[in-house]
Amino acid sequence: MTVASQPKRRAPGEAVWGYAFVLPAIGLFLVMGVYTIVYGFSLSFATWNGFQPHWIWVGLQNYADLLWASPRYAPRVHQAALNTFWVMLAVPVLTVVVSFPLAVLLNSVRRLRTLLRSVYFVPQVTAGIAVYFAWQYVLQPDGAVNALLGALGLGSLRQPQGFLGNPDTALATLIVITVWSAVPVSMMLYLAGLQAVDPALTEAAQIDGAGPWRVTRDIVWPLVRPITAIVVLLSLRDSLQGFQTFLIMTNGGPGNHTNVLGLETYRLAFLSQLDPTLGLSSALGWMLFVAALVLAAVNLRVMRRAT
Amino acid sequence: MTPPRSAWRPALAALITLALAATGTAACGGDDTSGGGKTLTMWTFKQSHVKALQKVADSFAKESGITVKVEAYGPDDAFVTKVQAAAQTKNLPDLLEVHTNGDDLAFGAPGLLTDLAKDVDDAWLAGYLPAIRQDGVVTEQYYKQSLAQDAKTHGIKLGQRFSVPLTVGTFGIVYANKQRLADAGVTGAPATWEEFIAALGKVKAKYPDNGGVSIGLKAPTTGLEWFLQPMAYGLLGADKFHALFGKDKAGTFSSPAGVQALQTYGQVQPYWHPGTQSLDIDAADLAFAQGKSTFDIGGTFTLAFLAQNGMDAGNVITFPVPVPAAGAIKNMTLAPFTLTGVSVSSTTKNRAGAIQWLKYLAKADVSAMFAKEALDVPPTDLGADPAAAVGPALGAMIKAFGSGPSAYNPGDTTYRPNSYDGPTVASALMDYTPLAKKSAEQAGAEMTKVIDSYWAKQ
Repeated sequence: MTVASQPKRRAPGEAVWGYAFVLPAIGLFLVMGVYTIVYGFSLSFATWNGFQPHWIWVGLQNYADLLWASPRYAPRVHQAALNTFWVMLAVPVLTVVVSFPLAVLLNSVRRLRTLLRSVYFVPQVTAGIAVYFAWQYVLQPDGAVNALLGALGLGSLRQPQGFLGNPDTALATLIVITVWSAVPVSMMLYLAGLQAVDPALTEAAQIDGAGPWRVTRDIVWPLVRPITAIVVLLSLRDSLQGFQTFLIMTNGGPGNHTNVLGLETYRLAFLSQLDPTLGLSSALGWMLFVAALVLAAVNLRVMRRAT
Repeated sequence: MTPPRSAWRPALAALITLALAATGTAACGGDDTSGGGKTLTMWTFKQSHVKALQKVADSFAKESGITVKVEAYGPDDAFVTKVQAAAQTKNLPDLLEVHTNGDDLAFGAPGLLTDLAKDVDDAWLAGYLPAIRQDGVVTEQYYKQSLAQDAKTHGIKLGQRFSVPLTVGTFGIVYANKQRLADAGVTGAPATWEEFIAALGKVKAKYPDNGGVSIGLKAPTTGLEWFLQPMAYGLLGADKFHALFGKDKAGTFSSPAGVQALQTYGQVQPYWHPGTQSLDIDAADLAFAQGKSTFDIGGTFTLAFLAQNGMDAGNVITFPVPVPAAGAIKNMTLAPFTLTGVSVSSTTKNRAGAIQWLKYLAKADVSAMFAKEALDVPPTDLGADPAAAVGPALGAMIKAFGSGPSAYNPGDTTYRPNSYDGPTVASALMDYTPLAKKSAEQAGAEMTKVIDSYWAKQ
């Protein structure tokens, strides 16, 4: 054995320094990651309101109560699940339908591309509580949308009770606003995908006589299918777990017509008038987590098949 | 170059220093808000109480030398979360304003509040209105409810007292714009439900765009508990009203009596303020204060918010939700109950000072001063002419108070099943009015189905 091949001996002090630098990260991970996950999971098998000195262990009762056993919680969860299903169906489809053509258009323009990209990205930059409040005002009975419809001679489309006050339009309106805030990121993802498409492929198709529609449908769309899978996955995740739009704009109303599972989880945790429902909230959160995992797995499979 | 063997020492020293600093910081963090000595900290969830409490606190400081610092954290849910966090980190203030017979018992059960039973003696209680002297005490009813393993008050003991009254009042008060009523030819407060509906019609005819009734139906229970229930109590009488929430199908919301109550309530349908189903309580009150609606349904506590938002109290007529002329109770009154009280935290460093402050707040003149400033109803007896002490608007509300079977008491919930969930029942009612998705019969059947499921679980 040559001297050069001998393993280099590390001084003990060097290792201590190494551990000293790694320790805070491990500590943070243990506290913020492992501890909270174990704590939250344990809580899903107990009842507690955040004040009582002890948890009361109830086994799987929280899960049963949410799914079928409790007359108080199960019907609300069922209604919320149905609404969430519609949101999960509509938001990904509409997001793709709006963001892909926008990205294609943006990719094809030569002038003002940067400006237009910034304009289309505005909803992402501004999305937040203030914007949802602004939407609320715009959608009120005396809001801008009704005024605009009236001015355009489309008075029959006006909603006298506001778009959020009519149970027939409230959920659809919230879906549109969710799509509005999801489109910018999706569009940017598509744009990145489009810019990675080899121009030789589209040029070859054009030489063969394919028009813009044919090129987009048969060349570009299949090539950006992985991006579509990502956009759909992100939209599905947001639809399943996101609730801030619903909380701020309708709080699940009118009545219970726009309640979704994410909002129900939040209500059980923080809006339950001190009832010991933190365990129920945690259980619902874990069920959403499992649903998200299944969706991710399905999506991964679809992606593999597509590429 | 190989580092010397002692190179790990600075690293170890740094780690120990960091650990000690963190421990030291944590140890010092506990005493910030729980003021010891001559300063007390009080948290409230009502912004409208801050100025009034601070004014009273200033005079208390002159008398006792004890300073009370009032801090507001709202809305209610944010307040509860704040208390939750403070309790976990042992940073509770000395005093808390709480929802009486609700938060106080829930906070008291795990030991966050000190038991005041031995401090509040008969002489102290004598200053309060007789009907509310037991509010804040763990009575037989609350004790029994607390025995359920999953009750939020599990752990309270019979006879404990966790709060003393600060404000009293009730739900089911109609606020109306005096000027608009006069413009529409309505000269006084409607005495019956029929007169009320007629007044709504006249005002709506005069003011088609802003003549409606606003109520914060984003919280669906407001329609049920503040509007329908007082009217239904007067219409049906106490027993039949309680039966609406009972097990016997002959008297529930799906029964003829229940449907009659729903149909009577449904007469308001043409007069709702547009979009009132999307407004929260504050937004509905704001719509009234800004003149977007002419009627507003609330409680005694609503006046303070209206005044705070620019409504001229002199331009407001208040009256209890009226009863139909053929109702079972002819002269229905509203029974007051304690809305908010003050509790002392178990971690206070100055319990004696805190008790002294509570006693001071219970004095009739101090209580009236607070009420006038906060535009809220005080728990003390203000004599035959309360308007002289607290002004005409509050005085009119106090005069509507009563007791006995002819008085509707929203604080009495003993006739409902234990797992009763107001928002779910009220959402079914909303489908009837204002959403008009169901008929009175269908809504009644749905409400009965939900209430039945609660009884079945009991």
